Amino acid sequence: MTIFSTDHKVIGKQYMGLALFSVLLGMVLSLVMRFHLVHPDAKVRLFGALWPDGAPGGQMTPELYLSLMTMHGTIMVFFVLSTAPQSGFGNYFLPLQIGAHDMAFPVLNMLSFWTTTASLLTLLAAFFVEGGGPLSGWTAYPPLSALGKITGPGQGLGQDLWLAAIVLFCTASLMGAINFIVTVIELRAPDMGYFDMPLTCWGWFVTALISLFAFAVLVAGGLLLLLDRTAGTSFFIPGGLIVSDQIQGRSGGSPLLYQHLFWFFGHPEVYIAILPGMGLISTVLSVFSGKKVFGYKAMAMAMLAIGVLGFAVWGHHMFTSGMSPYSSIAFSVLTLAVGVPSAVKTFNWVGTLWGGRLRFTAAMHYALGFVSLFITGGITGLVLGQPGLDIYFHDTYFVVAHFHLIMGVAAIFAIFAGLHYWFPHMYGRFLHEGMGKVHFYLTFVGVYALFVPLHFAGFAGNPRRYPDFKEYEFLQPLLPLHVGVTHAAYFLAAVQLIFLANYFWSKRRGALAPGNPWGASTREWRDD
Amino acid sequence: MTNVARTGQTVLIVASSMLFAAFTSAMAVRRAMGGDWQAPALPAWVWGTLLLAPIASWLVHRERLKAAMVAGSLLVASQFVLLTNLTMASIGDAFCAVLVASHAAHAAAGVLALGRFGARAGLFWHFVGVLWIYVLFVFGAWA
Amino acid sequence: MAIAILIAALAGATVVLFYQPRWWLPDAISAHARAYDSQLSLTLCVVGLIFVFSQGLLAWVVFRYRDRGQAASPSGGNHKLELVWISVTAVVFVGLAVTGQGIWAAVQMGASDPRALRVEVMAKQFAWSYRYAGQDGAFGRVDIRQIDDSGGNPFGIDSRDTQGADDITAPLLRVPAGRPVELLLRSRDVIHNFFVRELRLKQDVVPGMTIPLRFTAEKTGTYEVPCSELCGLGHHQMRSALVVMTPEAFEEWLQEARRP
Repeated sequence: MTIFSTDHKVIGKQYMGLALFSVLLGMVLSLVMRFHLVHPDAKVRLFGALWPDGAPGGQMTPELYLSLMTMHGTIMVFFVLSTAPQSGFGNYFLPLQIGAHDMAFPVLNMLSFWTTTASLLTLLAAFFVEGGGPLSGWTAYPPLSALGKITGPGQGLGQDLWLAAIVLFCTASLMGAINFIVTVIELRAPDMGYFDMPLTCWGWFVTALISLFAFAVLVAGGLLLLLDRTAGTSFFIPGGLIVSDQIQGRSGGSPLLYQHLFWFFGHPEVYIAILPGMGLISTVLSVFSGKKVFGYKAMAMAMLAIGVLGFAVWGHHMFTSGMSPYSSIAFSVLTLAVGVPSAVKTFNWVGTLWGGRLRFTAAMHYALGFVSLFITGGITGLVLGQPGLDIYFHDTYFVVAHFHLIMGVAAIFAIFAGLHYWFPHMYGRFLHEGMGKVHFYLTFVGVYALFVPLHFAGFAGNPRRYPDFKEYEFLQPLLPLHVGVTHAAYFLAAVQLIFLANYFWSKRRGALAPGNPWGASTREWRDD
Repeated sequence: MTNVARTGQTVLIVASSMLFAAFTSAMAVRRAMGGDWQAPALPAWVWGTLLLAPIASWLVHRERLKAAMVAGSLLVASQFVLLTNLTMASIGDAFCAVLVASHAAHAAAGVLALGRFGARAGLFWHFVGVLWIYVLFVFGAWA
Repeated sequence: MAIAILIAALAGATVVLFYQPRWWLPDAISAHARAYDSQLSLTLCVVGLIFVFSQGLLAWVVFRYRDRGQAASPSGGNHKLELVWISVTAVVFVGLAVTGQGIWAAVQMGASDPRALRVEVMAKQFAWSYRYAGQDGAFGRVDIRQIDDSGGNPFGIDSRDTQGADDITAPLLRVPAGRPVELLLRSRDVIHNFFVRELRLKQDVVPGMTIPLRFTAEKTGTYEVPCSELCGLGHHQMRSALVVMTPEAFEEWLQEARRP
């Protein structure tokens, strides 16, 4: 049956389909969230119909908001950003680019797609159980996430399903990582050494190596949390707790231990989200400048450096956690150090453009947009990476702005670039260039309008993960900013319809594309 | 075995090692804090299983696959017995249960792999054996 | 061409907006807060320069090398250039990290001041409570079984401990201006976070840990304290306040609070 195909191209498309569904769902969730933030008292019949418990009479409760927020983050980070760039494009194009007939383990590949699907279905099931989805955020810190229903709605079965989904996703990712790594090591064509591989392949390879180490640790953290929830253990639960007037009997655990385990995975995870895109952007910029990538070897080494150093900086998510302030200093220096290879890549992208003959195809637009957004999102890391400054900005909208620009926008632009670039290969037709450019311009302006103002909310100390801002005087002057941001969000969502229309129309009726429409030199465009 | 089989198992071994490294470091951290650490009491017979691992590996090496699978199944069975007998009174017991159960899952997978792939899955099986010696050492001696 | 203009325009708009005083941080009320603002300004200057330079360079390159029929000039790389910008970036980035450690060390690594006013802070779903030692200067023992929120004992001060009999429990954090304060942050249930914007201080409040937070507030006033670590459905309503009073007013309040 085709749906259980072991062909890497089919599996790649299946992953892309899963990611497309997920990004649309994640986007709808964010629109509902933004709506609620600026209309917290609105009674919306649709909400009441969809979530009778979470939105009685159509009025969204704080717990529903928080569970939508948790699902939004989880869906976007795992099922979009850790899926489309790597398992989507990577499965399809890695074998083609290195001259292999398929991935090293095609059956394992099929199993990893279906395990990912099972993971997504398990996650979505949380919406439908009693209490709804968990409200502890995509980070699920204990004790909030460990003590069960007593800490809040959704913290019962909803949190268990979330954890089960995460463990399934980790398993699927590890299976995928093994496949990618063995494929690169063993199945390259005889004339292709490591440093002859296109940078896209380097992106997939380093990402798979990161995944191998990182997801294993998340499995550990997730299993221990699951045990705390179901088996009466106290890995993360300290003593002396009283929740809702009920004394909790367990003791001896450490909430910080979870954070270490989680972020040891969680930081490398963001490199998993961006590295394949970086590889692709290097290719697109090179092809449409008519020149080789500037400093190929430095680019490959920079990816490796990011991968390795990326494992040494997790503590920058924990500066205010109560961990040793001395370790914060070490993490801080390493965090700003990991900015160096990223800066090198940025310079080399500019170097690739320099002296070139730039063709402004839609793919090229997105690639240039990626570089611009990567700069904008990345440099606020210089603020957040200092614990002395993070002591104000932690858990404010400044952080929300930072990670959305870098992950939720730059990484997505790389996906758009990849789609425009590779669409002729996948479907034999072009995505409509004009529509693509219109979509690009409107989206580029839209994301700046949406996310730049959130930095200013951060300056004001606007905490994140708040269902509404009614309680605080200092937040009232920010309401117009939030209204503006919400409008930008609606605009941005509407604009994506242009892309969707382009995608579905072009699959059937797009202009037919020749074998190598862009004049690229990588193997996937060759006739053999 | 082919290069692909060897590299594939090597990469899988790396991932599994990371899992056990994460559990071990979580345990090390927990043991160092709180001052209430109690090493789990392992019944004496558990040390007998120490031999099961090298025996099974030697059998795989000699391509006596059915016998190796029997030895492996014996190991998994004894791990089940150990798990049901742990009193789970302390956090030390809880960690022991987690590592033993994780190992049992790997050992069971190893037995199945031997059944499905034969001696080609030998590298993973040797890792399972070494890992069991490690787990026993962690709880029997170091904890 | 259009994209070059757009990149430049968006970068320019961003820079202009960043320097609007309307959205700046609230007034600093302590020496630490002022030092913080200095470091933040320095960092934003560096960040701003990097931003303008790199976006400008990108926009310029896009404009300059747009296809006008020229031939692309091949350049596979340039080791010297790579080394230059690796070094410059490393120096700037790591240098920035180093300059920022001073304010961090001042907050986190200072010794406890014996003259400091020590106040215990208790966070729970979804409220804050504060405890002052009474005349005896000592905090009484606590016992979670004696916690009685409606009865005014959120800390669970043990009634059998005489030292606790004179402890003062309060719903707001009141401190005298100009005197060092040491907060002892504790949580009863999940992780919360104590944040005072005007002090530029924030600290997670972790169950199972007692975490100190030290400051000296200079300016009187009432400063809102929003919980800043997701703690459940009431996270956004867990409001408190730091009330900085003149030393005299603080003494008056303390006397008043001590009366049975």
